[in-house]
Amino acid sequence: MNRRLSWWMGGILMALLLLFTFSIFGANRPIGASTYVPYYAGIIFGMDPQDYTYLQKVEKPGAWEGVMLLGALVGGFFTSVFVTKTFRISVIPAGWRAYKNNSVVSRLIWSFISGFLLILGARLAGGCTSGHFMSGMSQTAFSSMIFGGVVLVTLLITGKFFYKGDTK
Amino acid sequence: MSIGEYFNFVFSHTVDMFNIVENEGHGSVWLVFVIGIVFGAIIQYSRVDKFEKIAGFAMGKDTIIPKMLFLAIGITAIFLYFEIKMGYASYHVKPMTLMGLIIGGTIFGVGMAIMGKCPGTGPISIAEGRVDVAVGAVGGLFAGWIFTKYYDDFFKPLMGENYGNTTLVDVSGDNAALFVLLFGAALIVIAIVIPKMELFDGDDLEQLPESERPDIKAKKENESFEVVK
Repeated sequence: MNRRLSWWMGGILMALLLLFTFSIFGANRPIGASTYVPYYAGIIFGMDPQDYTYLQKVEKPGAWEGVMLLGALVGGFFTSVFVTKTFRISVIPAGWRAYKNNSVVSRLIWSFISGFLLILGARLAGGCTSGHFMSGMSQTAFSSMIFGGVVLVTLLITGKFFYKGDTK
Repeated sequence: MSIGEYFNFVFSHTVDMFNIVENEGHGSVWLVFVIGIVFGAIIQYSRVDKFEKIAGFAMGKDTIIPKMLFLAIGITAIFLYFEIKMGYASYHVKPMTLMGLIIGGTIFGVGMAIMGKCPGTGPISIAEGRVDVAVGAVGGLFAGWIFTKYYDDFFKPLMGENYGNTTLVDVSGDNAALFVLLFGAALIVIAIVIPKMELFDGDDLEQLPESERPDIKAKKENESFEVVK
């Protein structure tokens, strides 16, 4: 089998990273991973922050997550090349082939749509798996528990109806 | 904006990003960068950025995501409470904008099931060479653009009223420590008792001898297949 961390080792390490980032020895703030998207979109689409209240609102958290994201790309790349050895260019995941279809066009169109939905949803809710689930629920925030509950339900419903069930 | 002006804009705003972080007081640029590296490495090494993990969870065929997630939250909840009590950290609670949470959570869940990623694991998949996720990121950037553009006129009113930044710690008063301990312990127990179910991801399949690979067998016999471990 491939080299991988067990779920409990991954969970413990993630908890340590969260606790460090929260602490004054770390960054004295939670980890988040969706505010960087409007921040980057603002840069890429040439939007001047002076004209958009939302860009002013996310200026600081967006920049922080923007830098963290660059680190995550580097960390993900080196780990996939040297540790898990899973780096390869691929378009359709094995699970998509098994439970949806073999079409590149279908996977790419759905990727675009679902990427759009993910970020629109995260921005409406004010957070994502990192900011709400991990950082928010760790602070026992009710807003994050509501988000977590809603996401769990729609995730499981979508999974049930979007993919083929038993392939017999 | 001419092309030259556009590149100037992108360059100067990227430099701004680093300056903002350096001056914000939430860790130096290098520290934030290293937090990102560790974040990416943990997710990559535990392989929870794979389509088969998140979409597999949505299909009810893979439970690594909830097990790891609930364990991490349970442990962090307990220790963060004491970290804050000792003055080494503070709360940063997100507002209870109820309509935004419900509408946003619904859309987010649908996107997560189809994409098989979330905004944190997506970039780590792209770093691993997943082209489909890069296309999804373009979709995400468009969403960020539209949200920013119509925030005042449409999205902000849609998100509705903020019912406060309340936590379990606030409402449990003197018993806060006990409640947090129970909350954290319950999450850890949930993480342990969820039955472990796993799908093969694409890289697991490549490691198998050809005769045992469900996808190759299915291709030969032209039928559908499962990738259950």
